[in-house]
Formats: sequence, structure tokens, C-alpha cells
Amino acid sequence: MTSIASARRPVPAPRRAGAGLRRRWLSTGRYVFVLPALLYLVLFMFYPLVYTFDLSIFNVNAANFFRGGAEFVGFDNYVTYLTSPTFLSSLAVTLVFTIGSLLFQHAIGWAFALFFNRGFALSGLLRAILMVVWVLPAVVSASLWRWIYSGSFGLLNAVLAWFGIHTTQAWLVDPHTALAAVVLANIWVGVPFHMLLVYAGLQGIPATLYEASSIDGASRLQRFWSITVPLMRPVVITALLLGFVHTFKAFDIIYVMTAGGPAGATNVLSISVYQLSFDYFKLGEGSAAANVLLVIPLLLSIVYLALRRREETAL
Amino acid sequence: MTTTSARPALTAQARARRPAQRSRRTWHLTVIGIVLVAIYIFPLYWMVTTSLKTEDQLFTNPPTWIPTRIDFSAYLDTVFGNAQMMRSLANSAIISVGSTILTVVIAAPAAYAFARLRLRWSALLLLPFLLAQLLPTINIALPMFALFSQWGLVNTLPGLILADTVLNLPFAVIVLRPFYLTIPRELEEAAEMDGCNRLQAFLRIVLPVVRSGLVTVAAFAFVMTWGEFTFGLTLATKQEVQPVTVTLNSFIGQYGTQWGPLMAASTVVAIPIVVLFVVFQRYITGGLAAGSVKD
Repeated sequence: MTSIASARRPVPAPRRAGAGLRRRWLSTGRYVFVLPALLYLVLFMFYPLVYTFDLSIFNVNAANFFRGGAEFVGFDNYVTYLTSPTFLSSLAVTLVFTIGSLLFQHAIGWAFALFFNRGFALSGLLRAILMVVWVLPAVVSASLWRWIYSGSFGLLNAVLAWFGIHTTQAWLVDPHTALAAVVLANIWVGVPFHMLLVYAGLQGIPATLYEASSIDGASRLQRFWSITVPLMRPVVITALLLGFVHTFKAFDIIYVMTAGGPAGATNVLSISVYQLSFDYFKLGEGSAAANVLLVIPLLLSIVYLALRRREETAL
Repeated sequence: MTTTSARPALTAQARARRPAQRSRRTWHLTVIGIVLVAIYIFPLYWMVTTSLKTEDQLFTNPPTWIPTRIDFSAYLDTVFGNAQMMRSLANSAIISVGSTILTVVIAAPAAYAFARLRLRWSALLLLPFLLAQLLPTINIALPMFALFSQWGLVNTLPGLILADTVLNLPFAVIVLRPFYLTIPRELEEAAEMDGCNRLQAFLRIVLPVVRSGLVTVAAFAFVMTWGEFTFGLTLATKQEVQPVTVTLNSFIGQYGTQWGPLMAASTVVAIPIVVLFVVFQRYITGGLAAGSVKD
């Protein structure tokens, strides 16, 4: 586009066809801006996802992966995976991990947000310091908590000894405590994020609402139930829905802490996908497992999008 | 999105209705806040002090809460004296910088178009970006391993850059879009009147205006890529190309219960993220509330 062409634009009447053409060029021009991003997602995300389905209906394994010639097996991989004893126990472990993490992350996040929302000196700095926990690489948090949970000289046992409980429990090694220990570490990581979301929501409630209702004689608790709770509904729905999907797919923090052990006690679905595909190199069955893993997040995404349409979410 | 856009105005308002005397009356909250946050981040203190303790201070009962002698030998042996650790730190730096640049270069024009497209199309085209954020990483890593094996991208740094960008891109587009929405259309029209074409107007006029958005996205992409583990584990089986997160994980197997060296390595992996966070804190937390994603 030359300067003359641009200068002509505000005079549409006599050059109707030209202007229309130009407008069309402009709108295609806009699509050109989106194109690299869309192509990128198609090539590196959607194609791989479709390819997973392709892999899942063939008997792909270490013997035929590089040489080719995997045999078509239909839905056999799905049947094998869904009827294996690992599947149901992994699903149960994943749900306990997800719901356990999420409820405490959100509740403690709320407590912090309400506390910080009272507004005091240094509150901004303190909130920022809390966020450091959340941006830490998962591998770092995981290796740190391995040390905290260590049996003989771990921090947790030292703190318990302080309260008079003397134990040399190795929390991650015992199948009875490993899952709870992993959940606790994950709660620690996730609380600041829920605090951030809830705090941003609380800050968005106009102060005048509280002022008006306190003039009307409402108590602090009444104000919380009649103003804060209903207005925070979209934030809570968003935090819980997105939090569920993000926690459900967690992999690195658990993998580094326990790799799914001991005895499958922390073997979430994502780890079972990894083990099938990369430890046993059964890529066909691993792909079937990966597609199964996708079902719950997909359903929740649909719920999320529907709620988003009705503007019942905060993001 | 509403929460963040409403934020600056309201914090200003909140500040306005908080006179100086009120902060004098709330000093006890500050004290409680400091104690709570200190307890919350105590594990981090524990990580750093463990890395600096001598062996005899490490395994004591009760534990040595404050090290009396500082010892840097864990850092010298496991980090600076360890070729694999140094190489993987360099790999992570290359992958993170590469993916950050690629993310910004692709996301900046895309988010701009989304902000300027007719709403119906924009909503439809944004959908894949929204959903992409909810995918388990392993679901992409597994087929990508198979595809990258065919394309010769397994065990290469470009392969890891391409893979990690898949995680950054959707987030970047969604976080950047609102920044463009605040630009008045007159600005671009004026640029076009002055003889800029659409691309020139975008590069010279629009991009400088959304600088803070670009900083948010870049900082966040770097943080995410530096901490990325799943792609590193699956797509880099050779030590030469491993990112530092994967090396740290293999240290855990290798060093077992030598917590001094392990915490030294963990601290070194954490430092770039903490420094970046301190410098770009305002940008990162603002962007977080808007995009609400991270694995």
C-alpha cells in the first residue's frame, strides 16, 4: 500500500469497487496475522492429537516402532488398558489427588485472599513473596519436598518432634502415606495461585456495596454471605473448573517425587500413560491410555465453555 | 478478564479510601502477615540453608535451624564442577530464550488480529487456543515423540524449542489480546494515512504501545520453558541436549540422600526464575490472573 492509496481511503463514494476490494484485502490481511499461530497449533498440537488416535489402533511397540509394520488391532488397546487393574486404581488415585489438592488449595487460597484483602502495609510485597512458591519449577519443589519427607533427618519429622510426635516415618516410601504427602506438597505449590484469583475477584467488588450494607446495619458475617459470596461465584466456578483440569493432568511434580510409586500408590493416569509408552515402550496401548486421560478434561472444558458463554465465569 | 481489567482502578480507589491512620491501626495485620508468609516459605529457606551446610550440620537431631558455618562445596562439586549440570544449564538457557522469542514472534500478530477481527470469528478462532491450555502435556509429548522420531527432531535443541512453544503459545495469545483492545483504532488509521501499510503500522505504531503486554508474555514464556519437564523427559533421551530440569531429576536418582548437593542443584535451577520473578513481578502476576494457566 502506497501513501496515495491510503490517502484515498476516506473518499469511498466514487471508487466503490476499489474500496470494497481494499476492505476485503484488509480483512484477509488480518487473517494473515493469525495464520502462523493457527498453523503452528495445527502442526504441533492437532496433528499430534490425531496421530495419537492413529497410534492407538495399531500394535505399536519397541519391535516395530522404528522399522514399521505395526499391526492394526482396532480398539484392542483400549480394551486392554480399560480392563487392566492399573486403570481403575490409577483413576482412583488421580481423583483423590485432584480433589484433595483442589479443595485445600482453594480453601487456603480464600483464607489468604480474605486476609490480604483487609489492606495493610506490606500486603503487596507479602503476596508477591507467596507467588514465588508458585512460579518455582515443579522439579525444584518436588526435590525439595523429597528432602522434607525424608525419614531420618527430614524437616516434617523434625517439626512433628517439636510437637512431641517422635517418628522416623519416610512419608514417600510408605504406600499408606505417599499419596497424602504428594497432595500436601501440591497444595503448597497451588495455594498462591488460588489466592491470586480470589484476591483479584475480591478487589473487583465495589467498596460502596459493603459501605451501604454496613449503614443498613449488616454484620461482617452478613455482608460476607450476602455480598461477597454471590459476587464471587464466577471466580469460584472458574478457579475450581480450571483448577480441576490443571490438577487432573499433573505429571512432573508427582513423577519427580515418587515416579508413581511406591506400589502404585501415587500412580496417576498421566504417569501410567508415560510408563506404558516410554518405560515399556508400548506406544499403541500408551496412546489409548492417553486418549482415555483426555475424556474428563474434555467434558469439563465443554462445561467451562458453556458457562463462559453465559458469562458465569471470571476468565 | 473482567477481574484484571477492573483491577488498577479499584486498587487506586482502595488506596484512596485508606487514610494514613488506618495503616497505623493495621500494623498488627502486617505482623501476622509477615509471620504467615515466613512459615509458608520456610521450605525455601530450608532448601537454601541445606545447600550451604557442612555434612555434620546436615544430619543432626534436632536439626540445625541456622547454619553456623557456611560451606559452598556442594555448589562447587555438583554444579560448577559438574560438566553435565553446566551443559544442561546452557541447554535450558538456549531452549528458554529460543522458545520465548518464537512465542512472542508468533503470538504478537495473532493476538493483534484476534483483537481486531469481527467478534464472531475471533471467538471461534480463539476456541482452540483456550482448549489447548487444558490439554495434558503428556498427550502432546507422546505423539510428538513418534512424529519427531520421523522428522529427526528427537534429541535436538530446536525440537525442544518447537515443543515447548506449543505450551506457551495459547497462553501468550490469550494474555496479549486484551492489551491490543485498549488501543484506539484511530491510531492505526492515522498511521495508514501517513503512508504505513498494515504491517508497518503494526510494527512501528501498535507494538510499542503493547510493550508491557509483550514483557508479560516473554517473562512468562521464559519461566514456563525453564521449568518445563515433560517434553524434556520424553524428547531428550541423550544427556547432551537435556534441559536442566531433567538433569536435576536424574541427580535425584544418582545422589539418593545426599541432600546437600541435591539442594544446591535445586537452588541453582530456582535462581533464574526467582530473579526473573523479582524483576518482572508486576507483569507476571497481572498476566497470571488474566491467563490463569500453568502446569
